[in-house]
Amino acid sequence: MIFGVRHSVAVATALGTLAAVIIAVFTWKGAQVTSETFLVTTYIGLFLGALWAMYATGLVVVYTTTGVFNFAQGAIGVFAAFFYWELHVNRGWHSILALFVVVGLFAPALGVVLDIVIMRRLRTASLVVQLMVTVAIMVLLLSVVGDIWEADTARRVPYLFGINNGIDLGPSQLPWHRLIVFVVAIAIAVAMRYLLRRTRIGTAMRAVVDNRELAALNGARPNVVSSTSWALGSMLGALGGILIAPELGLDPATLNNVVIIAFAAAAFGALKNLPMAVIGAMLIGLLRAHTVAWLDFGSDFRFAHLSIAPLLLLFVVIALPQARLEVGRLVHHLRRHERFTKWWEGLIGCGVIILLAVAFSGGWLDFGIWDPGAWGSRELNSANEAMALALIGLSLVPLIGWAGQINFAPLAFAGFGAFVYLKVIGGGWVTFLGLDRLGLDPQDIRDIDNGYWILLVGLLCAPLGALVALPAARLRGLYLALMTMAFAQAMSLIFFPNPWVMPIIGTGRQFPHIELFGVTFNDRRGFFLLLMCVFAVVVYALVMLRRSRYGRRWMAINDSQAAAATLGVPVVWTKVVVYALSAVIAGIAGVFWATVSGNVDSVQGFDLLIGFNIVLLVAAAGVSIPVAGIFLIFIPLFTGLGHRLEDSGNVDFLVTLLDIMTTYGPGMLVLGMVFNPRGAIFEMGRGFSPILPWRSDARAEIAAENAQKREPEIGELGIERPFTPEEVIAIDRRLGILDEVVPKEGYGAARS
Amino acid sequence: MALLEAEQVVMRFGGVVALDNASVDVDPGEVTGLIGPNGAGKTTLFNVVTGLLPPTSGTVKFDGVDITRAGVSRRSQMGIARTFQKLEAFNTLSAFDNVRVAVEKNHRAKWKHQRVNDVAHEMLGKVGLDDVADVTVGTLPTGSARLVELARALACRPRVLLLDEPSSGLNEEETSSIGQLLLELVADKENDLAVLLVEHDMSFVMGVCARIHVLDFGKIIAVGTPFEVQGNEAVRAAYLGGDEFRGAYAGMDE
Repeated sequence: MIFGVRHSVAVATALGTLAAVIIAVFTWKGAQVTSETFLVTTYIGLFLGALWAMYATGLVVVYTTTGVFNFAQGAIGVFAAFFYWELHVNRGWHSILALFVVVGLFAPALGVVLDIVIMRRLRTASLVVQLMVTVAIMVLLLSVVGDIWEADTARRVPYLFGINNGIDLGPSQLPWHRLIVFVVAIAIAVAMRYLLRRTRIGTAMRAVVDNRELAALNGARPNVVSSTSWALGSMLGALGGILIAPELGLDPATLNNVVIIAFAAAAFGALKNLPMAVIGAMLIGLLRAHTVAWLDFGSDFRFAHLSIAPLLLLFVVIALPQARLEVGRLVHHLRRHERFTKWWEGLIGCGVIILLAVAFSGGWLDFGIWDPGAWGSRELNSANEAMALALIGLSLVPLIGWAGQINFAPLAFAGFGAFVYLKVIGGGWVTFLGLDRLGLDPQDIRDIDNGYWILLVGLLCAPLGALVALPAARLRGLYLALMTMAFAQAMSLIFFPNPWVMPIIGTGRQFPHIELFGVTFNDRRGFFLLLMCVFAVVVYALVMLRRSRYGRRWMAINDSQAAAATLGVPVVWTKVVVYALSAVIAGIAGVFWATVSGNVDSVQGFDLLIGFNIVLLVAAAGVSIPVAGIFLIFIPLFTGLGHRLEDSGNVDFLVTLLDIMTTYGPGMLVLGMVFNPRGAIFEMGRGFSPILPWRSDARAEIAAENAQKREPEIGELGIERPFTPEEVIAIDRRLGILDEVVPKEGYGAARS
Repeated sequence: MALLEAEQVVMRFGGVVALDNASVDVDPGEVTGLIGPNGAGKTTLFNVVTGLLPPTSGTVKFDGVDITRAGVSRRSQMGIARTFQKLEAFNTLSAFDNVRVAVEKNHRAKWKHQRVNDVAHEMLGKVGLDDVADVTVGTLPTGSARLVELARALACRPRVLLLDEPSSGLNEEETSSIGQLLLELVADKENDLAVLLVEHDMSFVMGVCARIHVLDFGKIIAVGTPFEVQGNEAVRAAYLGGDEFRGAYAGMDE
């Protein structure tokens, strides 16, 4: 403690202030600061803060009352804003009526439906499933918006009461719209605080999240409570979206990214403290407004002012106290036997992958879908893109699948790998490190086959992974998820758009073809084979890793961090190591990913949504299984097929179908996790493995399950009617007090 | 000097005082009991000793070293192992792998695969779980999962073993074999092991413990041999909630 302030808070505040001062000194525009301009900037900041506070309030309310952190909060706002535009602008309804229909009717209905269909079932789900499902809802909502309101028309949501009416403030005017937003946001936050702390339903809401059964015994109705929470949260998201749309414009991605600011604000209040969350939102608003007004980052860092929220989140995460390792939260639901792939099974599998690749690309395999001879450049391109994405997907397997830690930034790690690769093979570092004085020449570096450097690239990515994980690894898993998302956002705003990072070279390839063992992989077929081999090798390495002591330790951490720690496993350090490994795989994958097309779009290429889709598809496939990465071939495969069908004509409905599958596929697949958290490949494996001659264990498991299915449902403990003899047997069997030999005529007969 | 000493530990959760100046000491070579009614603070004390909860005030000493601020895994490496009242087994792993995680972390790194496996099997054998070594712990009955936790704790080569209700979920026969195992472990001079046992099964506690601490509402109300504790007025009052029940309690001494 320093002056009664926790160490971590003091350190974070000091670091944050220092960073702010340094940045301010170096980027000072030199504009004159007058009290008037300062005041006006402050008004704008407070107004922006109020808007974000509204989103943050919704997040905090839903989180404190249901325990689910809603990544879709922003997307609900996006949908509401477009819906409001449709009613008010397109159909000419009065703004109040439109507002009432969207915020008062549609939004609560959406919240209740989400709760009944999905959210209620997530109560006992793991954090991975909870987050994946809300992210899936976000992606789905955005896809729906994109489909209904196509991007080809320009849309604008007008200010309530117009921009020109308002209070005169001397040099400028404070429009009614902004004043109302400010007042409403504060009023809502106060009302919610009152609701949660001082009313009966609020107490019930908070009680239900702590102990649902106990609260129910005391008269709370958990289902009513959670529906109320979701309805409230959804209304707040909708209101926020409609009020913020006039300021930001009606663009789904821009509007959705507001949610990251709300995350940072919510984190400022440790996700549960409403007043602090509002203060956090105001702080971000003020920082943003004053940054834009007084600082100039130059064209190289033109998006830097947008990254205030991710940076604030970083400092908040540093400031938060170490989380206690939770005990007694273990969800004790029966899980099936976790079988590890044997080393020779892994070898066979990888061999099959490579053989299939050879057969496919060589055109020797004809599934009747395409003419084998004509596996042309476009198909191969799609296939290469797919495999590169699949490789990136593999980086998530040890992290999300085994250690249960979330990473929304696989694409940022991949991009960083690509960047490091570009710099390493460029050879400029030889001069930079002064190695030229030792007789080394940058040209010597360029002469070496560039493929050999890929391993070095992987190693150089490890510290980045560790660095991202380090501040949040001592906190609960949710903060790691938020940190990686903030990291992805910050990288796409500050790092990648910088021309030094990814220099744009006229029309040529930014990333040269990969050379290895004297061979240049400049034709797509060869590159495809190379990718398949790399994929197979990484899959095999992962299979072996899971069988090792490290894999075991990671899965142990996923099951119970407290128990792992009491056995001497350093939990924080272990998490950091897994992130580093994930970054290594993603970095290596990034080299191939960038080499497929040879150029990376440094602004669009790292869009958060693309990264989300990668994570979602791997999760839907079954993130604990290495080959799950292969599910990512869906995206380019469907796109490729779509192109081909379009060319042949006359199959419009198929093209539409494929389009729908590409857009909605990942989200829909992940919603399946609500019912089957293990993922699709796991289920496929269950169907497939009994066929294999050496898997007698799988056949036994199926037989045991069928036997269990034949047992009668026990029902309500005989309250409604007496047990039948069959039920008595079933109960005894579950209690483990039944002898192996059951009398044929049943217990009832034997007893009587 | 005792091997493990918790001195004047206070643990407050908001307005609730879970531990109120509780002091416990544990010696090697014997089983020390910690009993008390539900909610007395027994598990909280375990959490403070193993580092899962930072105490509001007070110190925890191990082998004369103040470890009040040491991390959980650091304490484990020093030789403090425990089991949990609410199960914290690694449910997705097999019983064998549960124990292997502990063996791998607590024995020399250059140990070969085979040696790790041998030790893990030995530990499972000690608690009588050889048959279910390859079964996923999540599918085992609660009692067996509890024994997996015990085997896992033993695999840490502990100097102090904290057991939180090891007998719940076990039948009489299994309970008595666990009691036998504990007595054997502490009797073995080579182990130099101290055991702190939280237990509700009184005949079990009285049978294996050399000394017993009694905790009530966060306070230690009695320390002594099983015989002394049984005769203690305050203990009876704590368990039965008042003097008026004393008559009904008379038969328990047998």
